[in-house]
Amino acid sequence: MGEQPSWQDVLDLIAQLNESDYESASVQVGDVSIRLSKNDVGFDTPESAGRVGAQPLIETGFDTPATAGRVGAQPRIETGFDTPTSSATQPATALGDTIDAPMIGVFYRRPSPGAAPFVEPGQRVEADTTIGIIEIMKLMNPIVAGKAGVITDFLVSDADAVEFGQPLATINTSA
Amino acid sequence: MSDVPVILVANRGEIAMRIIAAARRIGASPVLAASVADKDSPAARAADRVIVIGASPANQSYLKPEQVAQAAVMAGAAAVHPGYGFLSEQPALCELLEEEGIAWVGPRPETLRAVGDKGSARQVAIDAGVPVGAGVEIDDPTNVVALGEQIGYPLLIKAIHGGGGRGIRLVTNPEELVELAPQAAAEAVAAFGNGALYLERYYGRARHVEVQVFGDGEGNAWIFGDRDCSVQRRHQKLIEECPAPGLSEKRRQLLHDSSRALVKVLRYRGAGTVEFLVDTESEDVIFLEVNARIQVEHPVTEEAFGVDLVAAQLLLALGRDPQLPDVGPVPPAAVIEMRINAEDPNADFQPNSGDITRLVWPKGPGIRIDTQIEEGYRFPPFYDSLMAKLIVRAHNRDAAVAAATAAVRNVTIDGLKTTLPMHAYVLAHPDFIAGGIPTSWFGPVWEARKESLT
Repeated sequence: MGEQPSWQDVLDLIAQLNESDYESASVQVGDVSIRLSKNDVGFDTPESAGRVGAQPLIETGFDTPATAGRVGAQPRIETGFDTPTSSATQPATALGDTIDAPMIGVFYRRPSPGAAPFVEPGQRVEADTTIGIIEIMKLMNPIVAGKAGVITDFLVSDADAVEFGQPLATINTSA
Repeated sequence: MSDVPVILVANRGEIAMRIIAAARRIGASPVLAASVADKDSPAARAADRVIVIGASPANQSYLKPEQVAQAAVMAGAAAVHPGYGFLSEQPALCELLEEEGIAWVGPRPETLRAVGDKGSARQVAIDAGVPVGAGVEIDDPTNVVALGEQIGYPLLIKAIHGGGGRGIRLVTNPEELVELAPQAAAEAVAAFGNGALYLERYYGRARHVEVQVFGDGEGNAWIFGDRDCSVQRRHQKLIEECPAPGLSEKRRQLLHDSSRALVKVLRYRGAGTVEFLVDTESEDVIFLEVNARIQVEHPVTEEAFGVDLVAAQLLLALGRDPQLPDVGPVPPAAVIEMRINAEDPNADFQPNSGDITRLVWPKGPGIRIDTQIEEGYRFPPFYDSLMAKLIVRAHNRDAAVAAATAAVRNVTIDGLKTTLPMHAYVLAHPDFIAGGIPTSWFGPVWEARKESLT
């Protein structure tokens, strides 16, 4: 592996983007590519209700296919500089008993192949408990339950493609 | 891979229906990338499959390159057609697809960039020998007479650092220029912190004429005539026609040759439009911009020449022969398109949405309707107001105007306010019937009609 940017380099980049007129930036240093966006134009995904506000993503994508689809290899850093707020797009779950995909992508139940699933049916979760990950064009997004309760079943398998709003799991919120 | 290529349709409304029809025509399988609001739309039913890419607002669905690209991957698409608007001229989606080995139905990303902003597009036009608007910077605001002569009158004094219509003055003769230039410089200093000015020729009575091109990506071009889109309200086209009426042979040749030169310089790939300003008070023809996509008004050209431009786009993107004929500069028919918008022309063209309770289209030879609406369709509030395009073809312009007038009279759309009354008025107006009106025509004429009614 070639040279890598230091933490400070990344932070400096964020500061520079924040003060600039640019909407987004893409930087390649050695083996590491960094993409930043102020306002989620270009490569962000709809904000799930489970996440707070519209937060810019920083993706450090190591360009090796083997790591694509894995979580641990792709740190995801969220910072809080000003961005236009987006309205929450969590699809209505009127019945209150499903957890729906907040974005299109590939759903993973485990942080990496071979690892234990984030949660198993029968397990109690809080609103901010991560139940899986959705990968959209190599960008990993943690998916939280969004509500407290007991997960009763998963409706999609590990590594299934899911559409926006597709139910991922059922949850008993009165349990 | 099966023999049937999948085409991902990354758009909505009538253009989604149009792309689906073209995909069927070439034996491909259309898959629609839809927002939540459109997942049960007529286009969704017409497609082989629907993939929900995001929430109803366009900025959470149709405007998200990552989400569209993800849908293309999930669909196993061979190509993605972006339609018009949304991501159609954004290199971002095009490049994401390239990484996945999925074809983009449109020009190369570098072409999108080259024509994507006024400055670089102007430079491309100059490189291609295409006439651009005369403009010159002022070095000394007390010495401007020669510059004024160079540009010609009327002209505009513009502050280089101005914007949004501020810092612009209309000048009709040298005396005014001598008087106003120093004032404008002083004001520009005060307003923008910089007194730099330039002069630009002003065309108050120009037409909007555009040329339909189709490039093979190697520098060769098919030219499918021209369109006049001068019936406009606040830069929004209302009525388009093919061919542009009353163009001299010389002017038409200049427009077509210029467009061909641009295709060559850009090695343009696929369908595109070169827009020009055609002055009615001088012989000037000025390049405006290249629209690197299929346009709303493409059907007038298709009907006039008997071609399927969208199918040709798909074929080219799939690496096949686009099956287009070589045609002359003037088509053998005249075609008029009326954009029927969900807007109330008697209330400042305010958009409205709601249920379409009754819908009747006219029938007859030469009538084409491009639309997604049907009886019972709930016209959504999230997107633009285009409901349908009524396209009418006849053997010459007079006959086309008459046929269009009758067609408009025989449309019934209940449940929503539409722009149909405006079309009936324009089609019956002597200025429109005569042909060749400038883009500044509609606004005051429609206002005057309103006043005459009250």
